[in-house]
Amino acid sequence: MSLKVEDAVEYSFAMEYHGPPITRELPRALPINVDRIPVASVVSPLPFSDSVSLPVVQPISAADIIGKKLTKDFKLSSSAAELLTVSPTSVIAFESQNNEVSEGSYSKETESSVSPSSVNNASLESETENRNSNDICTLSGELSSDFECCNRNDVLSGVNERGYSSISHDEFVGGVGSSGALESSDSFDKSRKFSGSLRKSSAYEESLDFNESNRTDWESNESVLSVDCLSSRVSSRKFGDENQDSGGGDVRRTPVVTFCDIESDDENVNEDYSHSRPEVVRMKKEPVAKVRKGACYRCMKGSRFTEKEVCMVCDAKYCTNCVLRAMGSMPEGRKCVTCIGYPISESKRISLGKCSRTLKRLLNDLEVKQVMKAEKFCEVNQLSPEYICVNGRPLYHDELVMLQSCPNPPKKLKPGNYWYDKVSGLWGKEGQKPLQIISPHLNVGGPIKADASNGNTQVYINGREITKVELRMLKLAGVQCAGNPHFWVNEDGSYQEEGQNNTKGFIWGKAGTKLLCAVLSLPVPSKSSYPCGEKISSSIGRSKPEYLDQRVIQKLLLIGYSGSGTSTIFKQARILYKDIPFSEDEREHITLVIQSHVYSYIGILLEGRERFEEESLNELRQKQSCGTTLAGHDDANGEETPYSVCPRLKAFSDWLLKIMASGTLEAIFPAASREYVPLVEELCSSAAFQATYKRRHELESLPSVSSYFLEQAVEILKPDYRPSDLDILYAEHVTSSNGLACVEFSFPEPVYDGDADSGDMNDSMLRYQLIRLQAKGFGENCKWLEMLDDVRIVIFCVSLSDYDQFALDGDGNRVNKMMLSKKLFENMVTHPTFDQMEFLLLLNKFDSFEEKIEQVPLTKCEWFDDFHPVISRNRSNSNNANHPTLGQLGFHYVAVKFKRLYSSLTGRKLYASAVKALEPMSVDAALKYAREVLKWDEERPNGRLSEYSTYSTDASSFSH
Amino acid sequence: MSVAELKERHMAAAETVNSLKERLKQKRLLLLDTDVARYARSQGQTRVSFGLTDLVCCRTLQGHTGKVYSMDWTPEKNRIVSASQDGRLIVWNALTSQKTHAIKLPCAWVMTCAFSPSGQSVACGGLDSMCSIFNLNSQTDKDGNLPVSRVLSGHKGYVSSCQYVPDEDTHLITASGDQTCVLWDITTGLRTSVFGGEFQSGHTADVLSVSINGSNSRMFISGSCDSTARLWDTRVASRAVRTFHGHEGDVNTVKFFPDGHRFGSGSDDGTCRLFDIRTGHQLQEYNQQHDDNEAPHVTSIAFSTSGRLLFAGYTNGDCYVWDTLLAEVVLNLGKLQNSHDSRISCLGLSADGSALCTGSWDSNLKIWAFGGHRRVH
Repeated sequence: MSLKVEDAVEYSFAMEYHGPPITRELPRALPINVDRIPVASVVSPLPFSDSVSLPVVQPISAADIIGKKLTKDFKLSSSAAELLTVSPTSVIAFESQNNEVSEGSYSKETESSVSPSSVNNASLESETENRNSNDICTLSGELSSDFECCNRNDVLSGVNERGYSSISHDEFVGGVGSSGALESSDSFDKSRKFSGSLRKSSAYEESLDFNESNRTDWESNESVLSVDCLSSRVSSRKFGDENQDSGGGDVRRTPVVTFCDIESDDENVNEDYSHSRPEVVRMKKEPVAKVRKGACYRCMKGSRFTEKEVCMVCDAKYCTNCVLRAMGSMPEGRKCVTCIGYPISESKRISLGKCSRTLKRLLNDLEVKQVMKAEKFCEVNQLSPEYICVNGRPLYHDELVMLQSCPNPPKKLKPGNYWYDKVSGLWGKEGQKPLQIISPHLNVGGPIKADASNGNTQVYINGREITKVELRMLKLAGVQCAGNPHFWVNEDGSYQEEGQNNTKGFIWGKAGTKLLCAVLSLPVPSKSSYPCGEKISSSIGRSKPEYLDQRVIQKLLLIGYSGSGTSTIFKQARILYKDIPFSEDEREHITLVIQSHVYSYIGILLEGRERFEEESLNELRQKQSCGTTLAGHDDANGEETPYSVCPRLKAFSDWLLKIMASGTLEAIFPAASREYVPLVEELCSSAAFQATYKRRHELESLPSVSSYFLEQAVEILKPDYRPSDLDILYAEHVTSSNGLACVEFSFPEPVYDGDADSGDMNDSMLRYQLIRLQAKGFGENCKWLEMLDDVRIVIFCVSLSDYDQFALDGDGNRVNKMMLSKKLFENMVTHPTFDQMEFLLLLNKFDSFEEKIEQVPLTKCEWFDDFHPVISRNRSNSNNANHPTLGQLGFHYVAVKFKRLYSSLTGRKLYASAVKALEPMSVDAALKYAREVLKWDEERPNGRLSEYSTYSTDASSFSH
Repeated sequence: MSVAELKERHMAAAETVNSLKERLKQKRLLLLDTDVARYARSQGQTRVSFGLTDLVCCRTLQGHTGKVYSMDWTPEKNRIVSASQDGRLIVWNALTSQKTHAIKLPCAWVMTCAFSPSGQSVACGGLDSMCSIFNLNSQTDKDGNLPVSRVLSGHKGYVSSCQYVPDEDTHLITASGDQTCVLWDITTGLRTSVFGGEFQSGHTADVLSVSINGSNSRMFISGSCDSTARLWDTRVASRAVRTFHGHEGDVNTVKFFPDGHRFGSGSDDGTCRLFDIRTGHQLQEYNQQHDDNEAPHVTSIAFSTSGRLLFAGYTNGDCYVWDTLLAEVVLNLGKLQNSHDSRISCLGLSADGSALCTGSWDSNLKIWAFGGHRRVH
């Protein structure tokens, strides 16, 4: 002990402090008594006020850090303090409330205790000395809390570099925020002091009526609960005012020091990082409470031998009793609640997702599994791309994903500087020989530098000067290396000399070479790219999308009045962007749907046939009755109309109609298809059926798409029928008919697309989710829309050709379908959820609109009654490409109508586009247009949006 | 009869109906000479008082990454299922605050979830218009996802609410945006009965909530966007037993009173109300006056085991604890420490009544329980 005292004397702080605390308190370690702390505070105010500034400056100095081979840097950030206080969890917040409260009284003392220790530690050079001083600290009464933190660091950072503790100690000391340590420990003390009386008083508990029946569960669960209320009690009793005004409490919180933690093998790099790229610096969290060596950070009990769980971020250790309270529900794995949202300490990456015994004992298997899953796959725990420098350039997020998800990824990727030879796939740490051969041709990082592996052999492989070991390997492998050649080596090991086009051989061709490489610990290409990579890549492949999707997925909401073609666009999108647009199951289901549709179409036709037959019979009779007044009814039966069928078919048709009427068509038909195919075939070829088919336009209930299917009815009804994509596109009701369907896709690499900025690399990474909603059955008030507040754009679909169609609205009135669309549009646009949402109007069925507008005037719809096409005079030369067709004029007119409506409702601009949903290119263009709109939206903050859209400028310039 | 004439008669009839409704309302108001609170006050009842630690947040269930929309407790054990905008159902162990299952849903837009009485399975429904059942004991597939064990499809609109029939793992009642409620047989996956819809006495707008009578599981209540609540008998699907008027906005939530003779409702008009199912009368309105006339909507309610307390979550993040007898707010969980940052979307009391769980748009669930100490006076 005397030795330690001596040590302490060496460092000036002990002198300053030596008075009361050391002499009296030496044997007493933690916990500090409430009574004792004031002593320290007394000492504080005078002597250290000026020395405080010193420690703040010193630890930052690069020389110091480098000299000690330490990788810590820190900065003082008040924002980090805010982050700290954000934690919503009960336990900590209660405590921090306490902290705040006590701050007022103890802040001065904290400062004072801080500075001497910093001076001391700054002068510490060797690890042993450091240890000693730590010991002293533990023993020295008042100071203990401060030094415990250094002790703890020492212990915990065993994994890390040595000497870490001393520096981090410096940092602590330098930072104002170290006050937290003292405060919290003292608050703990307080609560403990109170605990006795409170426990007793709990005997008087009166249960609330709502938990009369049993409250055991909540109390039985550890002392934690009681700690909670204790601390809350303390604060509420003493500092009721602060409690009332919690906002004020927050403000009073002192800034806390946070540390940028960049770990790597190379300290120079760290310098670079922290200076040149400050934006990528990570906050390193330090535990709020500082405790005695080996004790639990929460209850302050236990020794280093009690089993504990460690926070992946701040290294805090908790005993089994406290783990659950301190770490809460572990949404990101083993982290203190205050550390949630912070990246894990890189030294713990190895244990990421590996469960400890403590946890296994505390939780059941399912829970452990969930925690580990969360820990492993949550986004914030992933390797940060900025920390990985490839060929001198830090990676982007996408590049890291690419690197990790390639078939043969680098093993155990750690932060650091790497070189990567894209041609051969060689991968290594900067300045070192190759480590591994990974998948080649990944577009990550910058171009490889000649001195990437710091070779001095003057032999180059793919532009990199190789190391001596490699050269030796090459020589032994029989490669001619005389004359400092420059080689091109491909991923398969074939090599050629620069400037020559003949492969000279395969480096790894001989079996001996591989053995040689093993001896020289040089990498060889893995046989198939899978054996080692498969497990990793498959787990990554699964996990990646989980957090990746949430990040970059853009949701597009496709909505429109029923019949507006949203489902066709949706199907078209699936066919366009999915490799397998429809799974086997879906196709099977779709087959059944199409088949039963065909039966129902046939049924409708047969119904029509009966009607036509009757009509023509009546006509015949009338003729007969006119002609031969007394011609008997007997003849009537024998009459042949074009719509008559033979008895067998008649029986079939009667039966079919009966089934249709009973509504069990779908239950019976697809199953019984086989036996009826011949009958149907016969029926379809019968003259009567053909005659009816010719008059199909008179049958209102027959949808227009039916002709597409009826033409190939016989084919479709065969049992081995498999619908083509086109069939599916045409078919009705094949997407989930009720409610919502969604498809995720990304736009394929632009091939035919000439857009200037679509070559942007991030584009292909962006994923989109097209959500199609059927407005029908979703009520008038659209309450559910608030669930979709995370969509980026609403694509509102209107069928252009609806302007002469009518449908029944909710009140049973016959309303123009265009007006119904308009009403839905108004509802959507004014919905609070879509307050600031971009809208894209798709005017669908432009093809049939063009046809229709020639026959039916657009003014048929009351909304469009002022449509007076200017073109009418030039009708004769409408072939002229310069003159828009009537259809185009109509489209522009309708678009303008909607735009005006939109801007009158929102004051913003509506994007509009014409679409032919049955044409893939048209849908593709429309969805790309939506993407463009999103891009403009992102760029908007940079400047007022100019008129990008050809559609919108065209349309808005058209006015009258 | 011409169309014009028909229309005229329809108009007249509609007017008559409206005037009759108005008269009914007047009459009701006339008969409603007192409410529970006035009576209780006259009887000298004093309000429940809460100490500072009587109700504290003792667990925070973190793990969702989106707004929490719905939660439900198991009847036994202390497990909770919650549904969130992130497209996941999470089953929590409320005691350890750990997840036991995280179920990725095929359709991310989930609005409701429920625990089966046995605790073996969970149900959820949403914008996909289907109710999906997951058996918690089934094996996960290769991606670690729990497969859907049964899909109840048949609704023509979104599924807004679902609840298992007490003590029966095989029956479930759903409420839907297609204006109907449906009683399902889970084993067959078919509809046993459909309540409302084309029938006259059904709801005339989206049904948002159902609550089954705990003491008589044949009766259930539904709350709807037509600002009414209706009482149904599962044996009589054709018509509602009774319709409860009073709310002036969408009825977002209904919940049976523990004794099964009353039920509470919460609405967009910012009030909670207590109705008696035997008389059909409104017993009490729970309305906190707000300075600005924009009253926050009630999103979810729950009664304490005794019925003395009514917990109500509001869109502004408040969560009032009402004294049901005196109609006074005795506590606002939204103003306590560690309260939610955002709208409280759902809440529920554990089966034993010892803990309250609230789910919020801030993506957390919190468990509130008795603080463990009460000051002695």
